[in-house]
Amino acid sequence: MTKFQYPIVKAFVTELLRIFRDPGVTVIFIVATLAYPLIYKALYWNEQITNVPVAVVDLSNTPQSREFLHKWNAAPDIRLTHTCTSMAEAEMLLRDQKVHGIIYFPRDFARQLADPLGKAHISLYCDMSSFLYMKAIYLSCNNVMLESMRNIQIDRYEQMGIGQEMAWALVQDAPYTETALFTPTGGYGSFLIPAVLMLILHQTLFFGICMLGGTIREENEEKYTFSSLFGRAGACFTIYYALATILLCALPRLFDIPHIGSFWDIQLLIVPYLLAIIFFSLCVSVFIRNRESGLVILISTSLIFLFMAGISWPKEMIPDAWWYIATCIPYTHGAHAYIHINSMGASLATTSTEYIALWILTGVYCILACGLFCIRKRKLLEETLT
Amino acid sequence: MVRELHIMFARPLYLFASVGVMLLSTFFFLTLMQGGTAEQMPIAVVDMDQTSISRRLIHEMQATPSVDICLVTNSYPEAREAMQQGHLYGIFVIREGFYRDLVSLKRPQIDFYVTNSYTVGGNTAYKQMLTMANLVSGAFQREVLRKKGLPDDVIMHRIQPLAIEGHMVANPWGNYSVYLVSTILPGILGLICLMLTIFAIGFELKSRSSHTWLRVAGGNYTVAMIGKLIPYTLIYLILGIGCHVILFRFAGFPVYGSTARLMFGLVLFIFAMEALGITLIGLLPTLRDALSIGALYSMLGFSLSGFTYPQMAMLPPVRALSYMEPLRHYYLIYVNEALMAAPVENSIPNMLALTVFMLASLCVAPRLHRALVYWNYPLK
Repeated sequence: MTKFQYPIVKAFVTELLRIFRDPGVTVIFIVATLAYPLIYKALYWNEQITNVPVAVVDLSNTPQSREFLHKWNAAPDIRLTHTCTSMAEAEMLLRDQKVHGIIYFPRDFARQLADPLGKAHISLYCDMSSFLYMKAIYLSCNNVMLESMRNIQIDRYEQMGIGQEMAWALVQDAPYTETALFTPTGGYGSFLIPAVLMLILHQTLFFGICMLGGTIREENEEKYTFSSLFGRAGACFTIYYALATILLCALPRLFDIPHIGSFWDIQLLIVPYLLAIIFFSLCVSVFIRNRESGLVILISTSLIFLFMAGISWPKEMIPDAWWYIATCIPYTHGAHAYIHINSMGASLATTSTEYIALWILTGVYCILACGLFCIRKRKLLEETLT
Repeated sequence: MVRELHIMFARPLYLFASVGVMLLSTFFFLTLMQGGTAEQMPIAVVDMDQTSISRRLIHEMQATPSVDICLVTNSYPEAREAMQQGHLYGIFVIREGFYRDLVSLKRPQIDFYVTNSYTVGGNTAYKQMLTMANLVSGAFQREVLRKKGLPDDVIMHRIQPLAIEGHMVANPWGNYSVYLVSTILPGILGLICLMLTIFAIGFELKSRSSHTWLRVAGGNYTVAMIGKLIPYTLIYLILGIGCHVILFRFAGFPVYGSTARLMFGLVLFIFAMEALGITLIGLLPTLRDALSIGALYSMLGFSLSGFTYPQMAMLPPVRALSYMEPLRHYYLIYVNEALMAAPVENSIPNMLALTVFMLASLCVAPRLHRALVYWNYPLK
């Protein structure tokens, strides 16, 4: 090998070679990073869940209840698959998971509707084994109800002697408009995939560096010098800059999930995000003794990081103690910043809180890594002396 | 087995990875979602009307317990930017002319905006704003009818002629924690079983110590394998049962069906994950390849089991793949036993499927045995 003038360049090149010669790390760094997003996209291919099977128990059995059901059947979210004569029969279907919800019209449904002072009831029973079933059934039900309610109200107002025009004004169409900002389709994939892309970058880099750290230690090659620290960081950064650009900029366009952010803002976000992860992982890797053990322990951090970051479970609901820990993990800030920019069209200035936090983490972990390397170096020196 | 106990206690990894990680995860997920329901997500109200009526309306809405208005402003861009910064999940707009419309008995228009970039927060904010919009429309009708001189109780029936009663079967509180944690924790335990089984066997290959291991077992592969796995299995069973006791006894998670069958399902699931570990290290007797594949396989289990995103919404090939995940079968047993109180026939296919995972590990026995004896695989 040619002689390098600067040790840091040497460390950089050695690390690059080590990464590409080590099939285990190459698999994690490159294959896993590129394969995971494809798998997740395939998994969440259908953004919305449609045609949730629902059973109907219509004890009222009147034109009014049938009109309701007719409208309901037209809703895309649910499909009325079974008509039952009793609740017990419908409960059996729910228990056997043939249906995921039950719509129940009581016997007095039409009578209550006809009575000007009456209040009619419809009961919904939702399978709670997945929250998305409930969402589909409730939403479709709400829409049908609002529409039917308007007609009933007008009838009643007219009965009271309020003129038709007035009655219409009272229950006018579109009492409100609702708009889903930024992601009009609002599907599960559009929400989860950006967060998963950031998590993939975070975790593969984290595992990869810990694995490399373990290997170097197994082979007793680490000298714990600053040039080795920054050389290693530089090598990982170079590889991951390209990967991050593919994942964060190109994949949302290919996958047709929201990508309304600025390309350059995302590029600027990648820099501190990767640096923060790299120094964070280098700090942890100091404690890893061999290449495989890290993976075994750290694999379970993926889910904890995802939930702690307050993406799927809102951050307002996370207990303070966990939230303080979450702010020390680069993923938390990175994922929020990326969702703000990519999915909600924020500029880098708008999401500056997270951006600055990433730079602070980079600084803190860099200093911490230097400190840990110094301590290791001294220990190593003592060991060789004795 | 005795040899394995020595190994187990000599390397902190085993105890730490199983007991430590499991304790941490249980503690984490139970404390993370204490309430289990997301309420009062912050939203903004944009008041473009700026009249006494609109201010009174905002005041009334703020008094409603289910709504958290964190920002009142007259500029929509300001609210939108706050949303982009992740401070709020919904924007409720009172248009200019709200007061004028109200007094002239024209129905005033309300607009609201939600974000879907955060699912739970956005949904909750949506529900809140729907409540607020109904409040406004109800208040409007009430005012008009009062002017007509109608008594309040008659008015209420006019406004609400129809009601929908929602029943959430088996989880009447709509508790997110019950639904999520009762599958995630067994999932993490399964992940640990898989990874540690691969590690325990693979490390013998990597450190070339498998001959000693076989010699201690009298050269018998079956004895060696069972002896090796007994100590770990005991730990997993204690962890799994302990975790269930915490969830279903102390945290008050519901079990409507048979606890015994649910436990049996968990035991089968643990065995199936261990067997899967043996299968993977048998197919790929290089420690780190098997570990990487194992990690991939079991992480996908969380999504493929279908407890967040239902299996019926997956593409057919993906749906077929989901049956390859032991977690999917455990989740179905859990739904049958804990939530639906279904008869045992409903769980039997899943229990059989978990048994198939165990039998599959027997197929790799000759291959793994050869690997242990001849070391015919690369070290790294």
